[in-house]
Amino acid sequence: MAILDLEGIEKRFGGLKVIDGVTLEVDDGEILAVVGPNGAGKSTILKLIVGLEQPTRGSIRFQGRDITHLPTHRVRHLGIAMVEQTPRPFPTMTVLENVAVGALFGSPDTRTGEEAALAAGEEMLAFVGLADRRDDHIDNLNLHEQRFLELARALAGRPRLLLLDEVMAGLNESELRSSIDLVRTIRDELGITVIWIEHVMGAVVELAERVVVLDFGRIIADGTPHTVMRDPHVIEAYLGAAEGIVDA
Amino acid sequence: MTDRFSQASGTSAVGGVERRSTRSWSGVAWPTLGVGAILALVPLWLGDSRVMMGIAVLGLAFAAYTIAFNLIFGSTGQLFLCVGALAGIGGYGGAILADVVGLPIVVSIALSTSAAALAGGLLSWVAVRRSLGVIFTGIVTLIFALTFENLLLGLGELTGGESGFLMEAGRGTFLRSQIPPYYLMLGMVLLTLFVYGSLRRSRFGWAFRALRDDEVAAELAGIDVARYRIFAATIGAAILGLAGALLAFTEGRVSPTTFGFAEVDVVVLVMLAFGGIGSFLGPILGALTFTVIDELLVEVGQLRVFIYGALVIALFLWLPRGVVPALDDLLRRRRAGS
Repeated sequence: MAILDLEGIEKRFGGLKVIDGVTLEVDDGEILAVVGPNGAGKSTILKLIVGLEQPTRGSIRFQGRDITHLPTHRVRHLGIAMVEQTPRPFPTMTVLENVAVGALFGSPDTRTGEEAALAAGEEMLAFVGLADRRDDHIDNLNLHEQRFLELARALAGRPRLLLLDEVMAGLNESELRSSIDLVRTIRDELGITVIWIEHVMGAVVELAERVVVLDFGRIIADGTPHTVMRDPHVIEAYLGAAEGIVDA
Repeated sequence: MTDRFSQASGTSAVGGVERRSTRSWSGVAWPTLGVGAILALVPLWLGDSRVMMGIAVLGLAFAAYTIAFNLIFGSTGQLFLCVGALAGIGGYGGAILADVVGLPIVVSIALSTSAAALAGGLLSWVAVRRSLGVIFTGIVTLIFALTFENLLLGLGELTGGESGFLMEAGRGTFLRSQIPPYYLMLGMVLLTLFVYGSLRRSRFGWAFRALRDDEVAAELAGIDVARYRIFAATIGAAILGLAGALLAFTEGRVSPTTFGFAEVDVVVLVMLAFGGIGSFLGPILGALTFTVIDELLVEVGQLRVFIYGALVIALFLWLPRGVVPALDDLLRRRRAGS
């Protein structure tokens, strides 16, 4: 069953068509990777889903409900959380407080108290492996840890769908390993559907069940990682990178 | 979702909420009562002088202004440069309703306070709707403030124009006596402080901190940034209107300078910057300190404005975050060190 439905999405910035008629169904419980060259419109798609941008045309349905023009916080309350490429922690809060905000406001339930939110925050910090950093200030976290912090904040509201924007860029080998494992656990243990933008092809092939390739705002391929990577359109879009992709 | 998570946070929710709420009550109530106890002694010291008591009442009005401005600007990042104008809606509104329309004083105050709240809420709504940044919100509200001042001059028959007017309502009652108005004003300030403190310690406080840190991240975390902004502006404007109305009835006269931009907004900005933007007791400390400094500087005449300016520059150079946050840091470091 489709949890998310994009239909004929088009987005223009002035005269520039960034998204050019994207139609996409995301199944409940799948890990979907979105890949494509720089400027293909990957991040824009995520921003359109959570309402940070408004589509020029087309509609977005989540669990059968039209969310096309809902404000971002409403989309979050319905169960879609996003982790952006550049972490945006709250600088005046501790690590735990950052995550507690997600638990306090991330669901439509306004009765969540502070203690309950902090408890939920600790659960999520333990889940992403930052439990011992709870009282740290965010300046003391490296990029990798900040992304995990954002992930914990996103999960604290118990979303049904998680959007990840290049969260593995710039990580070293062992950080990459733990990130891949964590995303898999999020889907397997928490049952959360994941849409995930990625540049690291090795990670895509290992983790994703389905890959969508975006180029100039259009979907040029959609399938399992291995079939997609052999698609001549995809190889053309990536040009010189083609051999590396096939090897992966 | 696994049971692990729902159980863990589910059980702590029951006992936790109650424990927290008692803690927040005492955390706000004690400082408020402490401030009240100290300020309640002021008439013992200055009570003999009608002039000094007038200044003390004005100082309390400014304390309320600064707390309200801190709620609007410090907590939700909306630069409202119409503090005087919103207080003026309360002051002039109350005066005109009581004197010209002939409504009872309490009703006049309630209506003019509501009018100020409505104006503040509308200004915030416009700023939020048009997604105006800090600077543009400042410009729009400044224009509102200047328009208000011109309206007072233009409607001279109703407002008394440049010289304002003396009010009939309240004459001969305790409102014009020497000491009771001080306690009326003090009660209002303490109520304001308590409301502000309680907001800070509730969900609102969390939302305020998050949206001030990063608006987009706050929205992504599920916070309705627009709603919290408009709410803060409405409550803040209500406080301004109430303080302005009480000031009008206790002084027995209103004039454009009572609520002018230079006389109110500039001073409130300095008071808040001194005390510490966003802190709980900073605004009231800033307001009272500058009321005293202002009074001490009367003796030096023309030099007063110069010294005032020098103080402000020194303040921004050495205490950019304000006195209360700086003291807070110092205490925390002491404790961590020992």
